[in-house]
This record gives sequence, structure tokens and C-alpha cells, in this order.
Amino acid sequence: MKKSSVVSLVLAAFIITIIAELIGTQRIDIGIGVIVLLPMLFAVVMGILITPGVLGKRIKALGKAIGTEEVDLAGTFVMVALLPLGVKYGTLVGPNIVKVVEAGPALLLQELGNLGTIFLALPVALLLGLKRESVGATFSICRESALGIIGEKYGISSPEGTGVLGTYLIGTLFGTIFFSVLGSLSLSTGLHPYALAMATGMGSGSMMAAASGALSEAVDPAMKETVLAYAATSNMLTGVTGLYAEYFLGLPITNFLYKKLEPVLGRRK
Amino acid sequence: MSEKSAKFKNYTLVLLITGVMILVGQWIGYDKAIIPSIPGMILVLLIAFIALVIKEYVPAIKFPAFAWASLIAFILSMPFMPTAELFLKYTNEVEFLGTTTPILAFAGISVGNKLGEFKSLGWKVFIVAIFVFAGTFFGSAIVAHIILSATGLI
Repeated sequence: MKKSSVVSLVLAAFIITIIAELIGTQRIDIGIGVIVLLPMLFAVVMGILITPGVLGKRIKALGKAIGTEEVDLAGTFVMVALLPLGVKYGTLVGPNIVKVVEAGPALLLQELGNLGTIFLALPVALLLGLKRESVGATFSICRESALGIIGEKYGISSPEGTGVLGTYLIGTLFGTIFFSVLGSLSLSTGLHPYALAMATGMGSGSMMAAASGALSEAVDPAMKETVLAYAATSNMLTGVTGLYAEYFLGLPITNFLYKKLEPVLGRRK
Repeated sequence: MSEKSAKFKNYTLVLLITGVMILVGQWIGYDKAIIPSIPGMILVLLIAFIALVIKEYVPAIKFPAFAWASLIAFILSMPFMPTAELFLKYTNEVEFLGTTTPILAFAGISVGNKLGEFKSLGWKVFIVAIFVFAGTFFGSAIVAHIILSATGLI
């Protein structure tokens, strides 16, 4: 790690953290529900804004301080900076172990619910005119394990590979932003906060943190700890089962549905 | 210096930086005084470090360091563990939401050079991805809601 890069990266992230915490948690009532905006949301938006591609190319001094080298370095920092959050999740699950075991059947079966993407997103992709790309893009939430599966089976430069990379990239860029809004807003669907909490575990630590953090701030304070415990457990389960569910269920179901739906919904040339 | 010890030196540095950022952040955002939170933070960072060591030296188990960190803290904080009371007393001084802000600050910066790729993807992929996210999330939520109702937990 180059010293000057570390200094400017840390300084930038530190200032962002301070500003984000000064803004604090904001609650916006939009009638159908409350959107909880957490400091982490402001932090990710500010982080994107100061990069070379956005404000860095307009403001010279900023572009010099945060260049491509610092951007690459930030990736390494994320992996390590996630760990204190991992520890905190462990301390939330441990004391609630009895509740978590009681909810075992729900926690296990809701993992299958992750396949919901196929039934919702595949028809949309076909209606938009995507072909085989749609299989890669919609068979799962497309985190690292999905890249591995598609890469091995079709090759990452195949149409399926293009699809999986597309969803992966959008998730990396906007996943936390999207889920930090959906996390609290989802309460207005009438689904129980505990069910929503389990749903936030999708195999991505930062998306889970964004969704469950916002959800936990929007629910009755008495439910807060259980919400976070369910979320963390569900995410751990997805980490273990996700790959198998994607490979043995997600991909075959998507391919089957593609065969049935493409002739009906797909655009003819 | 060997490659591994250089790697762990870097990890330690990043952990310490993150720790300081969390301490300052939670002082501003959640009125947690810095000094009383330090013992808890040291515990948290220590577990994080152990997680990195396990990941490095037990590569046979393909478990990310994040999961190891959760697992260690989980075991130490279970009700029947003798460590639970003291461990939770200290780690409770580290605010859950406070740990998330520095991560996302780094994460935001780290995706900066991917914005160009995003522009080349086009709006269709963006719409499809939104439906993927919503489908994954609500698919699980609906199943969980049904099972929780059936088992009488909600």
C-alpha cells in the first residue's frame, strides 16, 4: 500500500463518515410508509460522488487526491472494514439463539424464497427484449457465487455471462442504496417485520446491513434486536446454501422457464 | 519482510483506522463517549483480526472472514457461555449502526471506477436488476411470513 494513497483515502473516508454522522438518521414520511435514511446511505452516496468519474474530473484538486489508485485501495479497505460489523452481528445473534432456533423452519425455508427473482424478473427481462442474457441476469441476485457458476458453465464472455455481470454491477453500485430505501418502506406491504428481516439476508453483507439497518430503525424498538438477529442468521445461511440453491435450483428453473416463456414474451425480430 | 507478514501488517493498520473512524463516528452520531468505548472496540478488532488469521490459515473451509468474525462473536455471546456477560458488556459500547458508516464510505469510493461500465450497460439491465432485487427480497419475505404464521411465531 502506497503511503500517500492510504493517507488521502483515509482522510476522504473519515471526512465522509463525520459528515454522514452529522446528518444523522433521517425519517421521511411519504404517506404509505416511512423511509428511514441512515448515515451509511449518505456515506455511500458521498463516496461515489468524490470519485474520479464524477466530481473528480470537474474539481482538479479532488481528482488528484482521489485517483484510480485510491479507488482500487478502497476495495481492500471495504473487505477489512466489514469485519467489525460481522462481529456486531454475531453479538446480536448469540444472546437470541433460542429465538433463532425457534424460527429455524422459517429461516431455512425462506432461503427458497430467494428464487422469487426468477418469477418476477425473467418475464420483465424477456419483455424488454433480452435473450440468453436474461438467464444470467435473473437466476439469482448475482453476487460472487453466481459469477462463479455462470463463468464455469457458460463462460463469462457468453450472453449469460453478460447478464450476470450486469446485475452484479448494478448490485455493487446501487444495491445498498436500493435496499436502504426498501428496508424501511417494505413495512407498508403488511408483511411481518420478522419475515422482512429474514428476507434481508441475501448473501451480501453490505446489502443486508443496509436493508436490516433501515428496517430495525423503522420497527417498534422492542423488535429491533430480533430483527437484526434474524437478518444476520439468514445472511449466514445464504452464505452456506446460496451456491447450491443457485446451481441446483435457480439455474435449472430459469432455463426451464426461459424455454416456456421466451416464445411467448420474447420480442420477434 | 515476507509477503504474509506484510499483508497482516496492512490488515492491522486498516483495522485500527476503521476502529478510530467508528469511535469518532459513534461519538458524533450516537453520543457514545470515545474513552469508555475503547475496551469494547479493542475486543471487536481483536476478533476481526482472528477472523482474518483463520481465513488465511484454514483455506480448506471456504468461509469469508466476515462469517468467521460473526461466528466467533456468536459463540462468545451465547447465553450459556461464561464469556457472554463480560463480552456483551464491552461490545455493547460499540454501536451497531456506527460500524456501518465507514464501510459504506469506502464502498462508495471503491465503486467509482465502475461507473463507466455502468453507462455502457444501458437502462434495460438496470430495470431488470431492480426486479431481481425486489423478487429475491419479497420472495423470501413472503415464504418467511407464511412459515412464521404457520408455526405461530407471529
